Amino acid sequence: MNTLRMMGKVLRHPNEFYYDLQAPGAARWSHAILLIFLAFAARMLSILVTGYAFETWEPYEISFLFEFVWIVVPWMSWSISNWAVSTILDGEGKFKEIVVGSAYALVPYIVLIVPVTLLTNVLSLDEASTYRLFMTIIQLWVVLLFLIKVRVLHDFEIGKVIWITILTLVGMFIMWFVCFILYGLIDEFVNFIINLFKEINFRT
Amino acid sequence: MGYAFTRAYRLFIAALCLAVLMPVAVYADSPYEGYIYNNLEDDVHSINGYLYLDSWDGFGTEAGPLNAPEDIFVAANDHLYIADSGNNRILLLDDEFELIRIFGDAEGPGKLNTPKGVFVSEDGTVYVADTNNKRIAVFNADGSFAREIPEPKSTLLGDNFVYSPSKLIVDKRGYLFVVSNGTTNGLLQISQNGEFESFFGGNRVSFNWTRLLLRWFASEEQRAQIVAERPLEISNLYQDSEGFIYTTTLGGEYNQVKRLSPVGVDTLNHGNVWYGDYYVSGPFSLPAFVDVTVDRNGLITIIDQNTNKAFQYNKLGYLLFIFGGTGEQNGLMKTVSAIDQTSDGTMYIVDNSRGRIDRFRTTPFGDLVHQASALYVEGRYEEAEELWREVLRYNSNYDMAYHAIGKAMYKAERYEEAMQYFKLARSRADYSQAFKEYRKELMREHFEWILVGIVVLFLLIRYLLPPFIRKLRAWFGASGAKAQLPAGNQAAVKEGEAG
Repeated sequence: MNTLRMMGKVLRHPNEFYYDLQAPGAARWSHAILLIFLAFAARMLSILVTGYAFETWEPYEISFLFEFVWIVVPWMSWSISNWAVSTILDGEGKFKEIVVGSAYALVPYIVLIVPVTLLTNVLSLDEASTYRLFMTIIQLWVVLLFLIKVRVLHDFEIGKVIWITILTLVGMFIMWFVCFILYGLIDEFVNFIINLFKEINFRT
Repeated sequence: MGYAFTRAYRLFIAALCLAVLMPVAVYADSPYEGYIYNNLEDDVHSINGYLYLDSWDGFGTEAGPLNAPEDIFVAANDHLYIADSGNNRILLLDDEFELIRIFGDAEGPGKLNTPKGVFVSEDGTVYVADTNNKRIAVFNADGSFAREIPEPKSTLLGDNFVYSPSKLIVDKRGYLFVVSNGTTNGLLQISQNGEFESFFGGNRVSFNWTRLLLRWFASEEQRAQIVAERPLEISNLYQDSEGFIYTTTLGGEYNQVKRLSPVGVDTLNHGNVWYGDYYVSGPFSLPAFVDVTVDRNGLITIIDQNTNKAFQYNKLGYLLFIFGGTGEQNGLMKTVSAIDQTSDGTMYIVDNSRGRIDRFRTTPFGDLVHQASALYVEGRYEEAEELWREVLRYNSNYDMAYHAIGKAMYKAERYEEAMQYFKLARSRADYSQAFKEYRKELMREHFEWILVGIVVLFLLIRYLLPPFIRKLRAWFGASGAKAQLPAGNQAAVKEGEAG
């Protein structure tokens, strides 16, 4: 229930919230995990309740795993990249605070996405701009929370916040790139071992 | 049990056998399977709209065998003019392939040399694209050579221009529109006197990022080596009964079929329109459309030389039927080169490699779809509805039918049903439109209830929510008080941690 109260606070007083998050014991792993699952649930629910005219996918194209990965991977890679970059550049934030803080930055999405998506059931495509406006507001809010998080947790001024954010994004892409290459190499290697095994099996 | 009874019994059995066998004989197995693309661009089973009827190759007839025929023109009286290119002649046949006349085989000024295209004007004058003689030969209706229209001379044509007329039409003003092989600027518009007027309906070079980047970074010498991008070449043309010129283009991914306005602008395609097979079922190569024919109702049929299939679209661009294919069996073709149709809708496809004309006849399903489509194109949705329902009874994969019924329902102001049908047709824009009307209807019918609902909601929010929130707050405040720290203590805590 504490999480719910903190969710309310991050919406109303984000600055204060992130100050408080730095108190010992305030940031909890369990909260982060809970919030990510809530974000996932909100995402799946919003896909489910989208009005037909606004659907962009066929039902069979929707994958639980894929949606989950698309929430967890950006969140984790942002946290890791942001922590790494800010630690090098004199940021004060701790890894745990960044992870939990990033999860809390998704609260506007968690709270608003389902009601906003419900709008698609009463709107026609001519009125899609209303829906898009709300979606943009949600996105901007989330981005703003991320920026506030960087500013407060690391105690940066505005210019440095933007610089760190850009570096963090670059770091994220480098991480993904390295992961893709590693995946490719490991895949090749595993295939090689398997083929070798098959070949030897076949010869003897 | 007399003789009469046995006889009657036998007759009955014979009649039964006939009844069973007759449809089998009519609907013989087709060498190609009917299919169509649904709204997800998947190929799904459909019923054939056209089936192979018969062929004519000239063997054993007065005309003699065909040799690499390149073009066919069907006149208004259903007589066929066939450009028998390999034999250097034009054949005039009636629609049952009985020879009437031969053009251009006599020695003299009218002798043809590999004629690749033929067009006949309304008065029966025959215009022949006499390709290797580099001229247009004109014959009178009685077969006598009238005159020739020689190679046009103009500075507009450029120094490298090579005249190789292969297809042509003559419009109602008497201007000739000629496809010259290898010319990328469009059709040559030539007057009756042989004067070059202008290029008409040429394709444009589309924008390409790679090319732009290459141009930026290439040196002067490298730039000279890059082959200049040319517009795509027009392969064939057709003039419909209203005088519109249709062209087919070789190569390119989109809009290979165009309907040209009198100023040469494409009025058929809006945006990028895909023609022919999608990659899911076809080969991984672009189609090569070599001919097009358009009937009175605006049904456009094009043939693709890569797959040897014919694709039929209605006036609004809906794909109706696909027929033909590559192979040796009757109904399949080796190298299609031209297509045209008689007034009863029979398709005549010229197979260049096999030197024969294949005829395809519509099936009952084909006729049904044509009928329904014609009504639909004219916007007579309600009249078409029953026909489309029949189409769906035969073939529930026919997505266009759902869309058409949806339109009919919409017009009949049965919006809820229209929504269902638009959903089946995966037409989101139309669904949304129907939904808007449906919403209006609901609002009107249940206005009182909606008003009451809004008032109740307002009262709830105004009087019941605040106490509820206060209660909640009190509860959370009590349970989470110990974790809360005043913001003022923050600095102290941080320092404490650092130290």
